[in-house]
Amino acid sequence: MKTLRALFLRLGGLFHKEQRDRELAEEIESHLQMHIEDNLRSGMTPEEARRQALIKLGGVESTKESYRDRRGLPFVETFIQDLRFGARMLRRNPGFTAVAVLTLALGIGANSAIFSVVNAVLLKPLPYENGERLVVVKQGAPRSGFPDVGFSVPEILDYRAQNRSFDALVEYHSMAFILLGRKEPERVQTGVVSWNFFDAFGVKPLLGRAFRADDEKPGAPAVLLLSYEYWIRSFGGDPTVVNKTFTMNDRLHTVIGVLPPLPQYPDENDVYMPTTACPFRSDPQMMANRSDRMMNVFGLMKPGVSVRQATSDLNGIILNAQRTYPDVYPPSFDVAAWALSLREQLTQNARTTMLVLLGAAGFVLLIACANVTNLNLARMVKRERELAVRAALGAGRNRLFRQLLTESFLLSLAGAALGLLFAQDGIGLLVSYVARFTPRAREIHLDGTVLLFTLAVAVVVSLVSGSVAALDSREHNIGNLKEGSVQSTIGLDRRRLRNFLIVSQVAVSFLLLIGAGLMLRSFLKLQHVDPGFEPENVLTMRLNLNFTKYNTDNKRRAFYDALLDKLQTQPGVLSAAGGMTFPLIGMDPMSNDFTIEGRDSAQSLPIGDFRIVTPGYFHALRIPLFEGRDFTRQDRPDAPVVAIVNRTAAHHFWGTQDPVGKRISTDKGKTWIQIVGVVGDVKQYGLDKDVSDEIYIPLADSPVSGVSLLIKTSVEPMSIARRIIQQIYQIDPDQPAARVQSLEQVRADSVAAPRLTANLLGLFALLALAIAAAGIGGVMALSVSQRTHEIGVRMAIGAWPREILRMILSQGLVLTTVGLVLGFLGAVGLTRILRGLLFEVTPTDPLTFVGVGAVLAIAALSACYVPARRAARVDPTVALRCE
Amino acid sequence: MTDKADVWQGTLALMVLKTLETMGALHGYGIARRIEQTSGELLSVNYGTLYPALLKLEQEGFIASEWGVSDNNRKAKYYKLTRTGRKQLEKEAQDWQQTTAILARFLSPSEES
Repeated sequence: MKTLRALFLRLGGLFHKEQRDRELAEEIESHLQMHIEDNLRSGMTPEEARRQALIKLGGVESTKESYRDRRGLPFVETFIQDLRFGARMLRRNPGFTAVAVLTLALGIGANSAIFSVVNAVLLKPLPYENGERLVVVKQGAPRSGFPDVGFSVPEILDYRAQNRSFDALVEYHSMAFILLGRKEPERVQTGVVSWNFFDAFGVKPLLGRAFRADDEKPGAPAVLLLSYEYWIRSFGGDPTVVNKTFTMNDRLHTVIGVLPPLPQYPDENDVYMPTTACPFRSDPQMMANRSDRMMNVFGLMKPGVSVRQATSDLNGIILNAQRTYPDVYPPSFDVAAWALSLREQLTQNARTTMLVLLGAAGFVLLIACANVTNLNLARMVKRERELAVRAALGAGRNRLFRQLLTESFLLSLAGAALGLLFAQDGIGLLVSYVARFTPRAREIHLDGTVLLFTLAVAVVVSLVSGSVAALDSREHNIGNLKEGSVQSTIGLDRRRLRNFLIVSQVAVSFLLLIGAGLMLRSFLKLQHVDPGFEPENVLTMRLNLNFTKYNTDNKRRAFYDALLDKLQTQPGVLSAAGGMTFPLIGMDPMSNDFTIEGRDSAQSLPIGDFRIVTPGYFHALRIPLFEGRDFTRQDRPDAPVVAIVNRTAAHHFWGTQDPVGKRISTDKGKTWIQIVGVVGDVKQYGLDKDVSDEIYIPLADSPVSGVSLLIKTSVEPMSIARRIIQQIYQIDPDQPAARVQSLEQVRADSVAAPRLTANLLGLFALLALAIAAAGIGGVMALSVSQRTHEIGVRMAIGAWPREILRMILSQGLVLTTVGLVLGFLGAVGLTRILRGLLFEVTPTDPLTFVGVGAVLAIAALSACYVPARRAARVDPTVALRCE
Repeated sequence: MTDKADVWQGTLALMVLKTLETMGALHGYGIARRIEQTSGELLSVNYGTLYPALLKLEQEGFIASEWGVSDNNRKAKYYKLTRTGRKQLEKEAQDWQQTTAILARFLSPSEES
């Protein structure tokens, strides 16, 4: 307590120094006078009285000095003094300072930026109030080949009624609806949720109110909550939007509030509505059908309940239902239910990549740190005389050590400040990159934690890079003054230290270059994968028909027929087609089991991806037809039902037989579908993913309401997009088109994440290479300048310039080689971490290793070449005289 | 001078506190003189160490200071004991007595052996 009080007073003692000094002087003066008066009273002469008093008081200045030390905090005062001196030294060496600060800024900035991502995505708790208690509930039959099937309404009601582990079980699904009442009809992605969905997440609306239990009662007035992004994007953040009404699904919907900016999972939605407002979800048939599963479920676990307990609770409920409804859950559908932590679900895709990037940034910092240490060491040589003078004037070793450390602290602080500026610039790019992995990307900011992290990094860097140089100076400088020749040869251990730093820079650069090289090779391989279709000159856009207007199969079929006929005749259009999904877009098809005619169906049934397409789909995407025929306009419900399979399915299910003419059934033999053709395999899920068994069926037989147009054009596809949309309006002015993009764009997006990862790692590796090369060059230049005399002697006794050149180069080559060998060993051990991120490239890809080794060796040798050539040009007469 | 013992660190603070308790408010020179007199001129206070010691006591809140005028009309800084200083004095005096008692027992000729 009293020490704390004293500390505060002493901190205060750092200010108003002059006044306090004056007071002390007065106090001592009065002390002296009183003593003299006493002495006079005891009979001394005035001179003697004064002399005795002064002797007794001792040195006034040293009294004042120790008084001052006690008054303030000498430690802090010295620090401030050191800071001032350090700043002066750094200003006097602008070249050194600029290089060191820039190097550190790059290293620290990279770390701050990546740490801000790791902190936001992996470290911080979820931004929902109940984050740690939230789980994603899944249902499926993994043992029967259905990893995730979703929930039907009766199933959700069962779970809700019977569970003992949850405070809330809320449902969710997402659909596209058309919102009318603005200038143009707008397709809005709509989250359909239980009324207490946001309460379970602990999300309070930014404006207006959240859903209430009444909003989900059958027949309640329809209400909407807007997502923050949609509100900003479409309404410019206008607060008066609350209480406005819009028409959706032929009903008036009232906006009751706006949600705060939070990550949305599993989809980014524009608006949210209660389940009763969704025409699909509130359909009585849908609500009664236990097998009609289209919902997702989230759970808020009771406090203290673990994910494992919740899982066994859920599983017990569905096994119970299996006993009650054996026809819904046959043995071929071995049902199970389980819970997964929402936090892990949100971030699992990002984890490996982000940690690899953090590691890479750490390596860059390590190299930067080694480089600055080397610069510091080099500077120490030049400062030996200054340090020796200061030591001779009475500066203790520790005092000098502290001074040097303060200087290096100043340096890394400046580096950190500049690095933060770099990070600030880079973060915008990082957010859009990370958004490809996790919805938490929006939480990335340069916040207090990141600033603290940056400061901590700066302190550690200054301790590491500064103390090496400072310790080194302690070994060498004191007592060097009288030797006169400060430009003496460098001590052996100092040279060893510097060589060690160079070797480690080369080794770590090698690691980083290997990482980047592997990612790049992997990306190039991905780029050259044959997707099975031609994405060039294909325009796509998504249509979601108004459910209430196009409420029968016939109406929908008529719309599609009319639209495709109209588009076919447009100038610039080679062929127009449609499909419920298309390759690489990341939409799930319908996975279904089916029966093959003539085979035993008692066993578990084969499963295939069913894709709904129009005639001309294969032609528009240039997917080759190997057997049989394409769909035609005649393949309608009144004609025999037909299907086309891909090659993988043909081989898988029929082996060497020709599948054309064979029949399958999706309703256990009640109706049969005849296979009329075999088409080429297409990479549907990603260029790095396997091809699955695909069964195409005509849209005319299943006219779904959501269709993507695929238009092969003879011109740049986006250039006719506007005209195509106009054609749609001509048929139905209330029908919006969304996600207008070229198929090329879709393909590029599908590999954007690996491309950006490769780019980022590449950037780090290039930084590392540049810093390391500069470091090698710098050290060699220093070594040459210090060996000028020796080189002069060598030349005087007959060495050829070429031999000098070779001598210096081989010195660099030895260091580089040792570094490469160490880096190689490290890389063999470390690149295993990348395995999950690589496509068709092994973590020890020989080509990458050889290539990277060559690049690094060439870079290092060219960095050595400049000083080596200077050495070779040394004029022996000048060199010999320079001592 | 040389035969006089210097006041050793740590006890100076205790002596200052005791002096202020006995004498009331007093200036630096007065404190030093009083300590020397009380010791029967056996101790010599190094005036140079006195002022930092006074400052330390003030920072710790045991004494307070203010400018005043001395007997012979000289401006001087007067120190006086605070309430916490009085408690501290009590405690330190007790500690000191205990220490000396223990030491005395060590140093006195043993009676049992």
